[in-house]
Amino acid sequence: MKNLTATDRPSRLLRHAIDQAAHLLPAQGPITVFIHHNTLHAFEDMPFDQAVRHGAMVFGCEPYLPERAYRDAVTTGRIRPDDLLAVLEDDLGLKAIDGIARLVSRIDLRLAMLQYPLRTGPTEELLWFVAMTDALRRVREVASVAAKQKLIAETRRWVMRDLRGRDGANGEAARPAWVAELLEPFDESEIESWDANTWEAVTLELLWGICRDGVRGVPEFTPPPPIPVRHRDLLLQVTGTDIDLQVNAILIRFCAAFVDQGIAHWPLPNRENGFFQAFASLYRKPGSPERWLRRLRPELARLQDSRTSALASIVESLAVLGVPDTEWDGFVSETLLALRGWGGIIQQIETRGDRVAHPIPAGSLTELLAVRLLLERFALAQTAEESLGYTGPLASLRDELQRRLPPPTRTSEEQRAFVVFQLAQVLGWPPDQLHRRTAGQWSELVREIDEFNGIERRRVLHAAYEKRFREQALDALALHARQPAPASPRFQVITCLDDREESFRRHLEEATPDCETFGAAGFFGVAMYFRGVADAHFVALCPITIRPRHYVEEQAEEPREETRRRRKARWALGTAFHLVDVGTRGILTGALLTAGLGVLASIPLIVRTLFPRLAARIGARLVRLIHSLPRTRLRLERNEPDIGPQSAKIGYTLDEMTDIAEQQLRDIGLTRNFARLVFVIGHGSRSMNNPHESAYDCGACGGSVGGANARALAQILNDPRVRAGLAQRRLVIPGDTQFLGGLHNTCNEYVKVFNEDRLPDTHRDDFEYAHHAIEWALCRNSHERARRFESAPLTLTFAGAREHVNNRAEDLAQVRPELGHATNAVCVIGRRERTRGLFLDRRAFLVSYDPTQPDAGQTILARILAAAVPVCAGINLEYYFGRVDPTGWGCGTKLPHNITSLVGVMDGAASDLRTGLPWQMVEIHEPVRLLFVVETTPETMMGLMARDEGIARLVHKGWVQLAVLDPHSSRIELFEHGHFFPYRPLADRLPAAGSSVDWYRGWRDYLEFAEIGER
Amino acid sequence: MEPATIFGLIVLLAPILLMAVLGTSSLMERPLSERAASRLVRLLTTVGLLASLGVLAMMLVEGTRHVTVLSVEWIGVPYYHFLVKFVFDRLSVPLVILTFILCGTIGLFATRYMHRERGYNRFFTLLAVFMLGMVLACLAGTVETLFLGWELVGLSSALLVAFFQERPAPVRNGLHVWVVYRVSDAALLLAAVVMHHMLGQGDFGRLLGNDPAHPWPEGSTLATPTQALVVGLLLVLAAAGKSALVPFSGWLPRAMEGPTPSSAVFYGALSVHLGAVLLLRMSSLLVAAPALAGVVVALGLITAVQAYLAGSVQTDIKSALSFASLAQVGLIVAEIGLGGWIPFLWYVALAHLLGHACVRTLQFIRAPTLLQDYRHLEDAIGGRLQRPRIRWVQLVPGRFRVWLYLFALERGYLDTILMVFVVTPFVRLFRWLDRIERRWADFLAGRRLGSPPLVSTKTERTTEPARTYR
Repeated sequence: MKNLTATDRPSRLLRHAIDQAAHLLPAQGPITVFIHHNTLHAFEDMPFDQAVRHGAMVFGCEPYLPERAYRDAVTTGRIRPDDLLAVLEDDLGLKAIDGIARLVSRIDLRLAMLQYPLRTGPTEELLWFVAMTDALRRVREVASVAAKQKLIAETRRWVMRDLRGRDGANGEAARPAWVAELLEPFDESEIESWDANTWEAVTLELLWGICRDGVRGVPEFTPPPPIPVRHRDLLLQVTGTDIDLQVNAILIRFCAAFVDQGIAHWPLPNRENGFFQAFASLYRKPGSPERWLRRLRPELARLQDSRTSALASIVESLAVLGVPDTEWDGFVSETLLALRGWGGIIQQIETRGDRVAHPIPAGSLTELLAVRLLLERFALAQTAEESLGYTGPLASLRDELQRRLPPPTRTSEEQRAFVVFQLAQVLGWPPDQLHRRTAGQWSELVREIDEFNGIERRRVLHAAYEKRFREQALDALALHARQPAPASPRFQVITCLDDREESFRRHLEEATPDCETFGAAGFFGVAMYFRGVADAHFVALCPITIRPRHYVEEQAEEPREETRRRRKARWALGTAFHLVDVGTRGILTGALLTAGLGVLASIPLIVRTLFPRLAARIGARLVRLIHSLPRTRLRLERNEPDIGPQSAKIGYTLDEMTDIAEQQLRDIGLTRNFARLVFVIGHGSRSMNNPHESAYDCGACGGSVGGANARALAQILNDPRVRAGLAQRRLVIPGDTQFLGGLHNTCNEYVKVFNEDRLPDTHRDDFEYAHHAIEWALCRNSHERARRFESAPLTLTFAGAREHVNNRAEDLAQVRPELGHATNAVCVIGRRERTRGLFLDRRAFLVSYDPTQPDAGQTILARILAAAVPVCAGINLEYYFGRVDPTGWGCGTKLPHNITSLVGVMDGAASDLRTGLPWQMVEIHEPVRLLFVVETTPETMMGLMARDEGIARLVHKGWVQLAVLDPHSSRIELFEHGHFFPYRPLADRLPAAGSSVDWYRGWRDYLEFAEIGER
Repeated sequence: MEPATIFGLIVLLAPILLMAVLGTSSLMERPLSERAASRLVRLLTTVGLLASLGVLAMMLVEGTRHVTVLSVEWIGVPYYHFLVKFVFDRLSVPLVILTFILCGTIGLFATRYMHRERGYNRFFTLLAVFMLGMVLACLAGTVETLFLGWELVGLSSALLVAFFQERPAPVRNGLHVWVVYRVSDAALLLAAVVMHHMLGQGDFGRLLGNDPAHPWPEGSTLATPTQALVVGLLLVLAAAGKSALVPFSGWLPRAMEGPTPSSAVFYGALSVHLGAVLLLRMSSLLVAAPALAGVVVALGLITAVQAYLAGSVQTDIKSALSFASLAQVGLIVAEIGLGGWIPFLWYVALAHLLGHACVRTLQFIRAPTLLQDYRHLEDAIGGRLQRPRIRWVQLVPGRFRVWLYLFALERGYLDTILMVFVVTPFVRLFRWLDRIERRWADFLAGRRLGSPPLVSTKTERTTEPARTYR
């Protein structure tokens, strides 16, 4: 076959199909830089509820939590019946009061289906259940007494009046045969003296019989499942043999070898020629005794020798498989989704080669598809022959399989009847009433029930689940009494907007009421490629949406000789460790090392496991030996106009620094009232045994540690020339104000302050004061965090809690070093006085923004939203999906994870690459969409959304919730159905507690928001 | 009773008690709380470890090198003796100490690693079964006792591979491991039968000539060279299955489906060495039958080379470590074989085994920390980590090189070969026999031909669940 040119029609169509499919693949890059993003990014232009259902269908995952989880929430009061009713009313509008089969209104029917669990199962199970339990003896326990009594009384009347067989007025003729059959087990001659239990049983027998009778002949309303497009799916359904098993086994190995960044000592030969060529050169070699692989060999040789391109090979394969070009889009997507993790990582590395050490050529995804289709062809041919005796052309295999496809399983009569039977009991529909329904009415009833199926019910339950939380959060913000910042703060702290800093800031303010705190996106406006003094390479420290332009380097401030000596020592030690590690995987070196020194390994093994703290301390000492750098500084300033990683091109110009400083201060509203000491504290998380470590780091720093950004901002703000520049722009920083950079390790609760030795003596006392407060707050913060860890006793002291979190960080066996963003749910953008003194349970992203500043509404808020909304929504949605389907959207439990190719994890030794969050991170998460509360007016917000398409899409399509808080009052307006509506608080006052500890002590679970502080 | 015997009994009782308590509580559906289970594991492994150290101390003090504990004859008829007997000697004592140290450390590790996991109790029950199996197998003084321990190790290993039983892949791989283990069990069982046939009993002391005067490895076997060769070959087959030697190597990476700690202690450290332990125990047979020793050396070397090749192209850390582990196991086996000529090498092999077990356990439990470790190394070195230069690859002629890579990537085709040339014909043969048998039965019963076969010829559904469409 001749090679395609780029403009051929098949080529264009195919490229389109592959682009479509690529869009569906997971967008997670190498795991070393974990960036939270909306798992369903591909469907972001659909409304949320529609998108999750569509996503569930395409990916075979769950759209919401299981119904059981929501029902538990109803039981515990997390969802109230009122919430369900309100959501249904809102959902149904005028259709709510339509009568269904003249039995019940639509809303009552749906409410009953939400409130009471409906058992269903295979027909055999239901028949067993009816026969072997007291389902036909006792009315369901959940039914109200009134419904039960009505049911029995009406039945009794009906039986006595109309159905009695013995010389009654109606006579045998009027009595249907099935009634006699039903009543046979009961002694009819004694009918007058039947007791209550007998009547109950008679009622249920009649009900069950009538239900089964009624649903007979009602047509099927749910459409049959679509016929799968892939040959594999059809073959699986017909023969039970899954060709994906054998195809994936080869592809997993090969993909891993292709993207490997350094685990294998012997790299893939011909990797530089691309996926397709490397595969063909490898698998055309003889070796495998398997028939399908032996048959593949000449085909690979032919393709390679005729220099057929991957694209042409795909077209060829599709023709062989008999897939017309009208089906290409769906077929290609389904095919690539069969190994979506690997496809996704190949697509990611192909497009962002700057994020890995060994990039791969563009077009690799297409080549993967070409290889996959080749493998599938030969696997299909063999399986079809072996299990069906089919030897015809593959192009007609699908037709052949469709002919043999077993008919789709439909809902049986019993299954339908049993649902009606259960509903009749809780809603009190007496048998005679049901008996009088016409066939049309039965059909209407069944259709109505079918329409409100599992997913629909979960959608409504989820809405109620979110509504309840939203109301609690909005009530708290509306009712909270403002606490203005201290008039002359003793010190100020700027942290990341991260939900984990909420409690740190609260405890800090509780400890020292004369301090003031701010929240900003944790890269603090300093977007840069950064290299620390002991780092191997530059890392981008800024949100993923920004590509930094500037380079910053940390430099040692010590004699050159000393630096060189240390570097040498470090290099020697590192190389030695590396050689030992490599050596244990060799034959002879391995033998020498393990036989000679192996037993020594038991020492670190035992110490690491039994005494993690001791091991950590020894390790830290070792690290200090090579890393200890008494003084370093950031190289921030450059003179050359060009920017680059070379020495002279590193840094910012003075003007650029002044811009950064001004923008950052105005964003958070810190333009006057400066304290003598201002801390800028970034954050990160360090732990052991954690491939997902980067997911705990600062999202605004692109999944890295944000200390350098904080330090850079402080250094910029301390520069007298920058301050002079700022003064010209009417932003005056007093001469005695000093800025200090710091890094908060959110795992072990430790704050490192940079360049504290540069602080003038005049500020020493201020520093000691602030430092003491920070330490105190860290202890309290550890304590508050520890309440969520089941392995931390609730009786821990503050110091004990700090020790506990410290141990977690150092423990090799700890799979939950911290809980990350697991509690995120709200994002408040406004002045701190609106949230200061409010216990937000580590659930809120807090962004400082002062709406009273000039020009605030237009430029500043737009800037803040542009940074905060995508980052926070990305985190929230990733947690949402990770929680509702931990093994589908998330990557399952961490326990069997296996680091592969240095880019991701697999389950065990050979699986698809697992993307998303591990179960241990999302375990305690309440999946609710993030509620943004912005301190501004509805008009401003509407104006901003009109200008920012990305934010507008997230809000309008319901991927986030939005409310505005009036800057001058406590009025809240909630965005619903495209407009802002005033929100009326449900509560009239908030619970209050003297301190955070008083409020949370003794509780493991989520807590209501509360006022904290002496009143 | 002598102190050594008392200590010896405690060594045996500690894991039995652990298994009994954890197992019974799980069976009665009243699993222990996490805290209680972890305390129990800690307590009983410590007791076991101290007792085994006690045995060691007593042996050193008293100068004995062969202590028999609990020699009970269960069945004793002429020509048949079923003997339960445990022996502490130079071989079993270090192994038992290693077992307690590693199981204890990993048990402690797992109490935190498995926190809040469904199946927490199941994990520790299986760990206890495994520990008991290891202790029994190491101390076994008769082939019957060995078989008991051997079975417990196999059972618990296979079940732990399939620990995540809600996914199909672990179950499939657990089954694979189990089948290979059964083959090796069958070989061991046959060896036991042959031994009984030769000696009327399964006592290793009789077979190998070990007694207090001739502690391991000094004894010399009573068997004739032919007998030694027959029993030896069967035992080599058993050892090959258990230690994943060629051609059974394919199961080792599959065993990585379980939770990290079980992968570490089982396939990195203990059960993968069990075959080597068996060969060490049988060492005097190697002297008696040089051909056997030759087979062992060859098997060990082939395994080492094959595993090294496969290991150097593995791209995930657990497979890379498991093949690295296997390469060393191969060498250990080769050392044991060479010991047939230079008995000192048995001590080398033992030391190699002990050191290797410790190194691999450490490496396995650090496997999830790989990314951090690499980053630290990169930072220390000041640049990207370079792949080590494999010099011999350059010596392989170019065209052959790609083939060799494919051979390594496909793990020497061992699994495929077994599948195509052993499993499939085996299954076909038995289905054919089944058909023949049905025909005969039908014929004899005078029924019409063609009643459905007992075994469905349709392959079972062992697939990933088809994606559902809603």
